[in-house]
Amino acid sequence: MAHAAGLVQFSGHQHLRLRLVLSLLSGKAVRIDKIRSEDKNPGLRDFEISLLRLLEKVTNGTIIEISVTGTAILVKPGIISGGPLTHDCPLSKSIGYFLEPVVMLAPFAKKPFQLTLRGITTDEHDLSVDLFRTVTLPHLQLFGISDGLELRIKKRGAAPAGGGEVQFLCPIVKQVKTLNFVEPGKIKRIRGIAHAVRVNPQFSNRMIEASRSILNRYIPDIYLYSDVYKGEESGKSPGYALTLLAESTTSALHCSEAISQPGVAPEDIALQATRALLAEIDKGGCVDRQHQTLVLLMMVLGSEDVGRCRMSEPTPRTIQFLRDVRSFFGTSFKIVAADPVDKECSHLLYSCYGIGYINSNRTLA
Amino acid sequence: MDDRPHKAHRPSQSGGKAEKKDKGKGKEKQHGFNEKAFAPKSGRRADKQGRRNVERDQTRLHVPLVNRTPDSEPPPVIIAIVGPPGVGKTTLLKSLVRRYTKQTLNEVKGPVTVVSGKKRRLTFIECNNDLNSMIDIGKIADLVLLMVDGSFGFEMETFEFLNVLQSHGFPKVIGILTHLDLIKKAATLKDTKKALKKRFWTEIYQGAKLFYLSGVLNGRYPDTEILNLSRFVSVMKFRPLVFRNAHPYLLADRIEDLTPREEVRLSKGKCDRTVTVYGYVRGTNLRQGTKVHIPGVGDLDMKSVTILGDPCPLPDADSEKRRKLSEKKKLLIHAPMSDIGGVMYDKDAVWINVPGSFTRGNADVPQGEGEQMVMDLQDAGATLEDGVAQSHIRLFGSSSKHLTVEAPVDDEESDGDEEDESGDEEEDESGIESGDASEDDDDDDDDEAAPNPHSTGRSSRRDVTRTLPTASTSKIQRADIEYAESDSDLGDEDEEEDMGRRFRMEDGDPLDIPSDDDMMDEDEDEDGEEDETAPRWKANLAAKAQAASSNSRRRKDWMKLIYSTELTPEEVLSGKEENPINVDGDDDDELFRFKNVPRKEEDDEVDSSKDTWKEEDLKKWEDDDMLDSIRGLFITGPAAEDGGEGEGYEDAEDAGGDFEDLEAGDDAPPPTTSEPLKAESSRAAALASKKEELKRKFDEQYDDPEASKVDFYTEKKDEISRQLQLNIDEFKDVPAEARALVEGFRPGTYVRIELVDVPCEMIEHFDPAYPIIVGGLLPAEERFGYVQVRIKRHRWYVKTLKTNDPLIFSLGWRRFQSVPIYSLDDHSIRMRMLKYTPEHMHCYATFYGPVSLPNTGFCAFNSLAADTPGFRVSATGVVLDIDRSVKIVKKIKLTGVPYKIFKNTAFVRDMFSTALEVAKFEGANIRTVSGIRGQVKKGLSKPDGAFRATFEDKVLKSDIIFLRAWYSIQPRKFYNPVTSLLLSDKSQWTGMRLTGQVRREEGIKTPLNVNSTYKRIERPERRFNPLIIPKKLQAALPYASKPRVMKPQRQQTYLQKRAVVMEPEERKAVALLQQIRALRKDQVARRKEKKSEKNAEHRKKVEKAEERKNEKVKERKKEVMRATGRKSKREAEAEEGRGSKRRKT
Repeated sequence: MAHAAGLVQFSGHQHLRLRLVLSLLSGKAVRIDKIRSEDKNPGLRDFEISLLRLLEKVTNGTIIEISVTGTAILVKPGIISGGPLTHDCPLSKSIGYFLEPVVMLAPFAKKPFQLTLRGITTDEHDLSVDLFRTVTLPHLQLFGISDGLELRIKKRGAAPAGGGEVQFLCPIVKQVKTLNFVEPGKIKRIRGIAHAVRVNPQFSNRMIEASRSILNRYIPDIYLYSDVYKGEESGKSPGYALTLLAESTTSALHCSEAISQPGVAPEDIALQATRALLAEIDKGGCVDRQHQTLVLLMMVLGSEDVGRCRMSEPTPRTIQFLRDVRSFFGTSFKIVAADPVDKECSHLLYSCYGIGYINSNRTLA
Repeated sequence: MDDRPHKAHRPSQSGGKAEKKDKGKGKEKQHGFNEKAFAPKSGRRADKQGRRNVERDQTRLHVPLVNRTPDSEPPPVIIAIVGPPGVGKTTLLKSLVRRYTKQTLNEVKGPVTVVSGKKRRLTFIECNNDLNSMIDIGKIADLVLLMVDGSFGFEMETFEFLNVLQSHGFPKVIGILTHLDLIKKAATLKDTKKALKKRFWTEIYQGAKLFYLSGVLNGRYPDTEILNLSRFVSVMKFRPLVFRNAHPYLLADRIEDLTPREEVRLSKGKCDRTVTVYGYVRGTNLRQGTKVHIPGVGDLDMKSVTILGDPCPLPDADSEKRRKLSEKKKLLIHAPMSDIGGVMYDKDAVWINVPGSFTRGNADVPQGEGEQMVMDLQDAGATLEDGVAQSHIRLFGSSSKHLTVEAPVDDEESDGDEEDESGDEEEDESGIESGDASEDDDDDDDDEAAPNPHSTGRSSRRDVTRTLPTASTSKIQRADIEYAESDSDLGDEDEEEDMGRRFRMEDGDPLDIPSDDDMMDEDEDEDGEEDETAPRWKANLAAKAQAASSNSRRRKDWMKLIYSTELTPEEVLSGKEENPINVDGDDDDELFRFKNVPRKEEDDEVDSSKDTWKEEDLKKWEDDDMLDSIRGLFITGPAAEDGGEGEGYEDAEDAGGDFEDLEAGDDAPPPTTSEPLKAESSRAAALASKKEELKRKFDEQYDDPEASKVDFYTEKKDEISRQLQLNIDEFKDVPAEARALVEGFRPGTYVRIELVDVPCEMIEHFDPAYPIIVGGLLPAEERFGYVQVRIKRHRWYVKTLKTNDPLIFSLGWRRFQSVPIYSLDDHSIRMRMLKYTPEHMHCYATFYGPVSLPNTGFCAFNSLAADTPGFRVSATGVVLDIDRSVKIVKKIKLTGVPYKIFKNTAFVRDMFSTALEVAKFEGANIRTVSGIRGQVKKGLSKPDGAFRATFEDKVLKSDIIFLRAWYSIQPRKFYNPVTSLLLSDKSQWTGMRLTGQVRREEGIKTPLNVNSTYKRIERPERRFNPLIIPKKLQAALPYASKPRVMKPQRQQTYLQKRAVVMEPEERKAVALLQQIRALRKDQVARRKEKKSEKNAEHRKKVEKAEERKNEKVKERKKEVMRATGRKSKREAEAEEGRGSKRRKT
């Protein structure tokens, strides 16, 4: 067991972000080796280096040692300091890649976060800033992190050249609330944001039309915005995307997104996003699949009470995350079928006993 | 005369007194609240009373705190008995134990646990007079019985202890005055009591309970007084303390050394030990994998935690029924350190202490020659071979009878591989043992040492465990859990035929099944006492089986797949069967996780958080039927039929769904009958509950709309209790071991904690009089950093505290020495260092040490030694901030002198030594002593370190120029834990000493630097040259400004120059004139005197006249007043008369 030395060891480059987050929160040093050691291009990639830089910036006293070949790193975490910061993200990953770990860390910082990130705002691999603003941040509100929580999209930047800028503001908390979310409820409203930068603004309207053609049959409360950014604020490359989210009566959120691809009509993009949303709704649960890890992490960090959440089946990412949580915090989840009677229901009830994590970085007086 | 007995008092049988008494009796009987007696007489009074009641209600309210201690089986209440030596602590402890158990203890060591009632157990612990012990006890005690010698008064230790308590959360305190029988005079006794009570109340709170114990009878306090005390204790309620509500801890009531004997022998007792401690978990849930801190020893790792049977269980209906008549009087007592209650249970062994037969270290029992010899043998430090040879030689001489008696005892000891707890010195092995132990040595790496030796003497059952390749002991813990989980699967197997999976389960499990069986068997062998564990276990099994049977067959066991398999996440999801070979592999060793997983290129995308849907997943949504199929998930869709869409949502309208409702739904019994029937009934039930809810709502609104509104406090309380109920319910049906993995060990469970790498001194110098506390650490508290605290020197501590002097902190669980730097906030711009703590004021202190959560209280000491004069608590405070760097500055003044002065420019030297330094300070503000401000401009090349500076005015050559700068300082990274428990003399811990202390003790003189000695300062008087204004300038000046300097007169005046020579007549005339003048003077003086006399006489006369006049005036005034008085009186009477008349009518 790696607990003995207070050092947790991993191999491989996968799940790097979550492991770093867990290390910073738990205070345990983490050693990750065999980072693409078999690859033609071994070692850390530029975005991973950039991520490490960012984490070093937002913390105080973090020691990051990278081996000569770049295939192994040792991170001795310091304290999360926060405050006003600016970071330029590389163009190989979008802002979402960097924002996700920061969102997990920010409530436990010493000072409220005011992080400005520059780079690509929307791409197909990571959550776009729209999703962060409309879905991720409301998830944090479930845990009592709400006052002053904001993501401002100053500029948009589409894929190859970027040029976007967002500002993330997050308050600090003493302790997150225990979650008890077992009622998925029924979908009561659907919202969406269609944006198009450096292309014909008509594109976003076309996407909205196409999306509505499917969604209109379900509920009347559908509102799809057309978000327009002009000139300097629209970044350096052309692109457009549609972000959809469905909210249930118990304010469970499901989301989907599709972004422009060369040679595909905006209608098709819209249909893709819409179908993805329907698939997500069909999966059900109280928490979106893409936010499982965030919610589970906050549940682990909650007060020393039982937190429960009903979700769909875990994604591979979640499974690995659950294992990592155990090696960092020693907490495991009780995962049982949410509905023992109903055999068709694939929902699971995740319950865990929070570790009573108290933000020790917070300054008194 | 004294011998004659006084006449006894005979109460009067009749007459006034007797009647009065009878009346009193009648009054006494009247119970209940007399409304009339307390009814307010006036409206104002009623208002006042109302206000007061409201205020009193408010004071009763506190911030609602969650009480983490379960109500059903709480851990014993820790009652610490604290006081100076000779005050009667042991006597009180014995009296209390006697009160609860009807047993008399001869010698009390360590904690004593007794059952005091249906729902309460008490752990008594006596605190010795060492400050270390007092600090530790103060951190864990729920109730402190603070004993004070009434005939002596309060002692310094009492106040020190109270101050320690104050900074670590104040537990309940009951004061107890003893030795009151030494005060003979009743009046003195009364005064003493009053004085002591007053002092006690100011220290704790007004009205704090203070008990009086009179003299000692039969070595105990009088039974009635103890009974009263015990009644107070039994009804006492405890408010959770914040620190204890966030940390798990236990008070060890037993400690065993598990180190293989051979290892100890080889290292001459110096090797690190493996130690088990036993006790009730308190505070919050104790989790595995966390670190613990034992105050006085240090941070330790828990290798394993095991639940043991409660050695002092609360009585339940069952146990009461089974209690035999003979046992009626023998009540439970658990005090392993005091050798009481002969039987002790361990994880895999039972210890029976047979008093009277041979035990080591028992001086009471007379030892025979042979016993003495065997003990000598055990103490021998000789090698094994020598030992064997010697033992042979010696044994021939002695009688063999003793040896036969010893054999089994000895065997028992070797079997358990533990020391007999009464003899805690090291034991060297006899031949058989060492053979055994060397075996241990071989597979020491596997951490197998602990379970292995036990298996030697056992039946074949044990062998099952040994055939399997065993993993580390920490794994055993995990395996426990697997076993527990398999419970459900064992239940499953009755119905299902999924052989592949079941097989796998068994593969993973057998590691522990036998061992657990073993334990059970042992339990049954030993005594009926532990019997209830078996039924409980079985009950769990049945319940679990039932629950599991309701599970769908296809359903995955996610917990098992995620936590105890080697599958990659993708494989888990795709439902791949586990590779059986992997099963016994380490499941917790993250290092080898990826070893046999082929790496793919597309893995690069794993770290992206967006889940992209596959093409085919989206394709199906082109179908209209598919689109229609999820209509039920929207509010506009059809109401959910009985599981029609497979989602089976509960009523969605019920959005603000009550929590209880939900619970009820969950707790619904698993379906045993046919589906439709069940569905119908459930629908009916749902309808009924809905109606009920509506009715309740209506009633509430109709009857009393205000009643439904609860105040904040009640609301919070309800919320807390609901959450606590959920905590209990959620893991109710999970077996204990699995529950321990998920939620840790609950407070109130009796556990055995195995600690590794414990310093050998802890065992070698173990003394039960010093409490051993195992405090759990939060993840943040394992780290080190700079801790900023708000600190105040204690007002009773006589010296000031100095920056960079070591200070001993008691913070969190820890006691450690560190070097603080004191500082104050300087205009919110900077943290400015203070050389000394201010008087009567808080300041900040920053030191390097283990992190504690902000808002944790602490106290600090300069020395913990008992011989320290005066009050030892030197400061108290609270943690404010944790950081990895500090910004404390102190002022530094660089001085220089001008050596060349132009108009507003001066060349300054002696401030810096090189041009480089000057470059660093270019643009810095400087100032002269006289207040002329300036700026550093540029370095000069010629004298090194000189620079050009400009000023707002011309400076003088004699001016000193200085530059005020701030120099940042770092606290020294010094952390020295107080390892008092590792010393043979536990009160003699010494930390880092001050340089002066070291010099004094070593007899070294302070080195004297000649340059630092004070010399007499010689200040020659400054001479200023006269101001000379050049002639030219003088000429040019206007007249008014012209200096008016006149030359002093050189020539003598006429009068000075002339000489007077008088004629004789002239001389006579002058003399006469002089005489006349003298006469005249005399005459004037006399006249003056006469006049003053006359004046005085006249004044006297006038005064007398004045007096007479005043008297007359006074008399007249009096007359007038009398008249007016009479008049007013008359008027008043007249008024009254009219009033009375009116009343009459």
